[in-house]
Amino acid sequence: MTSVKINHISSLNEPYPSPSALEAATTTHVQGAFVIATRKLPILKSGPIDAMSVRLGIPIPEMIFGDNLVSITHRPTGWSIEFNAEDALERVDKTGEKMLQVAYAGEWSSSREKTSAGISEVVKPFDWSYTTDYCGTERPGSTGGAEGKETKLHGDENTPDIPIELLKRRDPILFADEVVLYESELDDNGCSIVSVKLRVMEHRMLLLCRMFMRLDNVLVRVRDTRVYVDFDKEEVIREYTEREDKFENVKTKLFMQGLKLDQVTIALRDANQVAPLLPLIKQGVESVILGPGVATKTTTTTTTTRFPGQTQLTPQTQFVRPPPR
Amino acid sequence: MPGLPPSVDLDECISRLYKKELLAESVIEAICAKTKELLMRESNVVHVRAPVTVVGDIHGQFYDLIEIFRIGGYCPDTNYLFLGDYVDRGMFSVETISLLVCLKLRYPNRVHLIRGNHESRGVTQSYGFYTECSRKYGNANVWHYFTDMFDFLTLSVVINDQIFCVHGGLSPSIHSIDQIKVIDRFREIPHEGPMADLVWSDPDPDRDEFSLSPRGAGYTFGAQVVKKFLAVNNMNHILRAHQLCQEGYQVLYDDRLSTVWSAPNYCYRCGNMASVLEVSDTGERFFNVFAAAPENDAVKDQQMNQDKSAEGGALPDYFL
Repeated sequence: MTSVKINHISSLNEPYPSPSALEAATTTHVQGAFVIATRKLPILKSGPIDAMSVRLGIPIPEMIFGDNLVSITHRPTGWSIEFNAEDALERVDKTGEKMLQVAYAGEWSSSREKTSAGISEVVKPFDWSYTTDYCGTERPGSTGGAEGKETKLHGDENTPDIPIELLKRRDPILFADEVVLYESELDDNGCSIVSVKLRVMEHRMLLLCRMFMRLDNVLVRVRDTRVYVDFDKEEVIREYTEREDKFENVKTKLFMQGLKLDQVTIALRDANQVAPLLPLIKQGVESVILGPGVATKTTTTTTTTRFPGQTQLTPQTQFVRPPPR
Repeated sequence: MPGLPPSVDLDECISRLYKKELLAESVIEAICAKTKELLMRESNVVHVRAPVTVVGDIHGQFYDLIEIFRIGGYCPDTNYLFLGDYVDRGMFSVETISLLVCLKLRYPNRVHLIRGNHESRGVTQSYGFYTECSRKYGNANVWHYFTDMFDFLTLSVVINDQIFCVHGGLSPSIHSIDQIKVIDRFREIPHEGPMADLVWSDPDPDRDEFSLSPRGAGYTFGAQVVKKFLAVNNMNHILRAHQLCQEGYQVLYDDRLSTVWSAPNYCYRCGNMASVLEVSDTGERFFNVFAAAPENDAVKDQQMNQDKSAEGGALPDYFL
């Protein structure tokens, strides 16, 4: 009977794999003055889920990778940007103001009135599509010394764009990873997923934190945060975009590309195929120079006063470009 | 009742399916037709006797289904009750449902299949089963055979007159199980009404009564609802699936309700455990917890290989 390998866990104290081994689950890569770290672990257990739910005041998505992490740290100044699930969920609307309804909600509530009157209360209304405008958790750095200045991302009319052309070059990738923060199937009404991927080349890196939300027969949303690091200039640029369109419009566009029904269904599950079809509705960009140039570049530091106390980017504080026509 | 065509040997089908081989389209057609006839005669509430091993969502994770048989025993040595959600999301929905249907046909009194919310035309078109059928068979015929058969799956099972088993949960329209028996179930799962609630609803341990989901459709049910239902029907436990739990199971409401989840490392990336619930002949419950089958590593490699170039080297993702 020993020939059959039974992958059997008899004790709940035998986790798969051990979430306590955070360190062991973390991969780091050093490039120039920056340390890039990623951590991937299983979804949270029920205890930590309940605790997070109490802290956030909303139910937690069923696939919650609460121990996962992506971070970029500038060692000389201590500046860092980190992506984690709880901070992303912190920025989900908890008032019910931005609440969507599933496609058949009208049909559902009208028929329900006849059968089960008396149940009218929606408990804990919140944006159950888990739409977030999260663009990372920033920790400002310090240039050090007596007159050490705080360094953090900020945006104005001089803020550079991410140099897309340089990123199109096929420079060798030294480190790459993809980390999911949370995912919900919206009770099989679509999907909502926030994931972070990154690729590090010799002179630069790109990180993309993407929220993809598809509410079947209602709406498709993509919210992208791109973090670009120039290792030579020790400069960081962060760009945030919001794209969305009605589900029907997206479907029509996919059909117009010549896709068949099967292919349209598959495409609607793939943010990469859908994102380019969605109209841009919001865009903003910020940057910070962390390298030795930072002390002499007074213009950079003074502008930070325009955005006081802002450690987390909100769309309002960004330099917002008009959407391209 | 006419038998299967003489060309279809169920035992041979089962042994091929254990090896993860696909059955021919015509065989699936015959088997689904036969299963429909069998299921048609089942009540909306099927009564079974323990011992029985209860299995939650599988979602096309074929290797993990085989793992369940390795851990819990093969059919017909162990009696099985499956709580639904056999298809979608995993990579082997066709193999999974083919095997379960053949086992049901072969051992109709030792294998019971309840309908989950994924055993529906609507949901399987969005979540993978339709696509998988089309890819593996070159057309959607097999998907039609299976989804037509899904319309006949029963909605609930009662073990030893004590444990009420359903895929999702309770409904505000249902107080007594006699009200389940009169549902016209031979149809696509509707968006609303008691049939929808049984396959869709979730418990909410923070509440006492039924509440509306913020999504604008669907209910959650609370502690008092569970107590009342058990008292009215003279039972002591509700057993359901439908919700992912990292530990493989969850017990709520002072041991009045259990969720059993049987898809370990769900979607090949959640890292969660899974369980099956073994109900002994005296009605005692034991969660047998297990992790993903080792064969899944090959799936992971396969997924990674899809990202690789023809030369075999990794094709880097130059995303922008």
